[in-house]
Amino acid sequence: MKARTRAAATLLTPFFVLFTAVMLIPIGYAVWLSLFTEQQSGLGFGGSETVFTGLGNYTAALGDRVFRDGFLVLLGYCVIYIPLMVGGALALALLLDSALARAKRFFQLALFLPHAVPGIIAAMIWLYLYTPGLSPVVSAMHSGGIGFDFFSPGGALPSIVNIALWEWLGYNMVIFYAALQAIDRSVLEAATVDGASGRRIAFSIKLPLIRASVLMVVLFTIIGSLQLFTEPLILNTGSGSAVSSSWTPNMYAYTAAFSRNDFGLAAAASVLLALTAALLSFVVTRLSGRKDAHA
Amino acid sequence: MNRSWSRTTLSIAGAVTALAVVTACGGSGDDSADGGTGTAAKPVTITFWGWAKGTKEVVDAFNASHKNIRVKFEETPSGNAGGYAKISNAIKAGNAPDLVSVEYPQLPEYVSQGGFQDIGKYFTEESRKKFLPQAVEQTTLGGKTWAVPFDAAPQAFFYRKDLFAKYDIAVPKTWDEFKAAAEKVEKADSKARIGTFFPDDPTTFEAMVWQAGAQWFKAEGDTWKVNTTDAATTKVADYWQGLIKGGLVRTDASFSPAWTNSLKTGGTIGYLGASWGGGVLGGTLPEQSGKWAVAPIPTWDGKPASGMLGGTTFAVPKNSEKAAAAVEFATWMTTTEDGIKARISSGTSSAFPAALSLRPAAKKAFDTKFYGGQDIYQVFEDGGSAIAQGWTWGPSMGTTNTTLKDQFGKLAGGGTTVPDAVKAAHDATVAELSKRGLKVEG
Repeated sequence: MKARTRAAATLLTPFFVLFTAVMLIPIGYAVWLSLFTEQQSGLGFGGSETVFTGLGNYTAALGDRVFRDGFLVLLGYCVIYIPLMVGGALALALLLDSALARAKRFFQLALFLPHAVPGIIAAMIWLYLYTPGLSPVVSAMHSGGIGFDFFSPGGALPSIVNIALWEWLGYNMVIFYAALQAIDRSVLEAATVDGASGRRIAFSIKLPLIRASVLMVVLFTIIGSLQLFTEPLILNTGSGSAVSSSWTPNMYAYTAAFSRNDFGLAAAASVLLALTAALLSFVVTRLSGRKDAHA
Repeated sequence: MNRSWSRTTLSIAGAVTALAVVTACGGSGDDSADGGTGTAAKPVTITFWGWAKGTKEVVDAFNASHKNIRVKFEETPSGNAGGYAKISNAIKAGNAPDLVSVEYPQLPEYVSQGGFQDIGKYFTEESRKKFLPQAVEQTTLGGKTWAVPFDAAPQAFFYRKDLFAKYDIAVPKTWDEFKAAAEKVEKADSKARIGTFFPDDPTTFEAMVWQAGAQWFKAEGDTWKVNTTDAATTKVADYWQGLIKGGLVRTDASFSPAWTNSLKTGGTIGYLGASWGGGVLGGTLPEQSGKWAVAPIPTWDGKPASGMLGGTTFAVPKNSEKAAAAVEFATWMTTTEDGIKARISSGTSSAFPAALSLRPAAKKAFDTKFYGGQDIYQVFEDGGSAIAQGWTWGPSMGTTNTTLKDQFGKLAGGGTTVPDAVKAAHDATVAELSKRGLKVEG
């Protein structure tokens, strides 16, 4: 018994040490920072004084239209991105899983490959592909009569959705494909014997059976979307685009800390974003739980 | 697995932990706490962050000729491209280097945040006298000395002289002529433009209003007066709004792939920049060597006038205990012939020293091949003596410039106008100053 306790302690200690060091302490520090603000006097050249402001930074962030607009951008992003991502990944996975597919391994790898490219590199590649005068894609579109400006106010969101799709489609497809492979083949055989068409099997048998995976992907995608940062930041700094420096809540926090030197505001914005993510995760998992109960 | 969490949370968590850990260690003692400058037997090692062209060569030259101080140079991204984020973070964490590069506009912000230390003790009146008074004025805030100025950055107009000749366009001396020239360029080649309004770099626009005589910030008593609705600002804002709306200038980001490409392909044949741009241009477009020339920046009334666009200073973060050594090195970089020669002979820098006596040395060290042998330092000299006095940068240029930049990003799509962008920046600035507890009028 004693040996078992010791073993458990030995195995768990590294985890808790790291968890405390890289999760709990930083989060605590962020919350602590968010309660203070810098106050100056006169012309401000006498340095600044850190004063406790309670929830002042939180009300400042919530009262800032730019911060709230960031959530609207995220909403717009999710509305476009999530259906395309989940629908696209499902369609590809079902195609790969169907009896019709050839060269499955090749397509699996080819579709997954973009995910191996780090996000920042992907964003820079796409920045070039979006830049008129440099990009073969833009010039091909122009000669085809399509004059789309990827950096315009209306074009910025689709441009970023496109980068994210490129990065994550294959990854989610692999998750779905693995779930599809795990389906008991006898169920599918029974459906075939009963005369169900390939399409009918896909929609009425396969999809319901991998619902858990679909929900997981939706959940992760929502949380990932909330943290949208790298791609718009590259578009912000590398082009004269409509993507502003506080376009998403994460960018708002970054700009508050490093352009405006307001660490308290940045911390408050980050905490608010984290709370939103926690709340959404809770809602999505609860919803999924209820559906399973009814099934 | 849980990629979304791991991706961002861990990176933030990691960064914050690093901060926490470093803060904890920051107070460790050091035997050079007296600010000593070291001896040959026991040299002081200082760390220096910068990005200006030719900095590495300067550091090498200093280390080769000095035994008492060793400089460890760490190259950072340029200020707006992430360099300032790095400095702010390090100051907050208490592990900033002993010397950092800061441009004039950002200096008051760092000072008002308490990020730098007063270096008046080491950067003496005797040294200060060597500099252009405007540069000293920009680095003296609230009666204290906060930075060693390096370059004065008078504005200048760089242009493709081969194409100007081909299209038979005279080099514009006034802004009216500039507009006429812009129209001619577009007429001669529908794909070419005379220059670019940089939406990502508000300091270019600010230099234009400075040149026109505006003074956005004034410290009167203990009150900040913010004024962006004066005649000069209005004139400049309307002028650029007209050029942008008429499609006579490009609106690419500075040094972006789009901008560089348009220079390479002859789609942009001019660049409204400053002295330091001369070296950058040569480094960016080596294949166009000999095709470029420099002219004084156009003015409103034809008489010489200039703003200052960027320009680097060197400041000592508050946590450094080696201020004396840091300032000694900074003074060497900015006031000695060896320092300036090392930088300019690197071939990538066309810095125009704020220290008046160094200008002949800088001129001699600069290779004018890219400009077909033109004496570009004479152009800078004329621009430098025409820098309008009295301009002060506000204590929250981060907020002012971020707002301007965000607004300028909407110009190309017609989402806003230059005057509206200035108005938005004004409001954001006043709000930020009041939030910090400063007295502000405007």
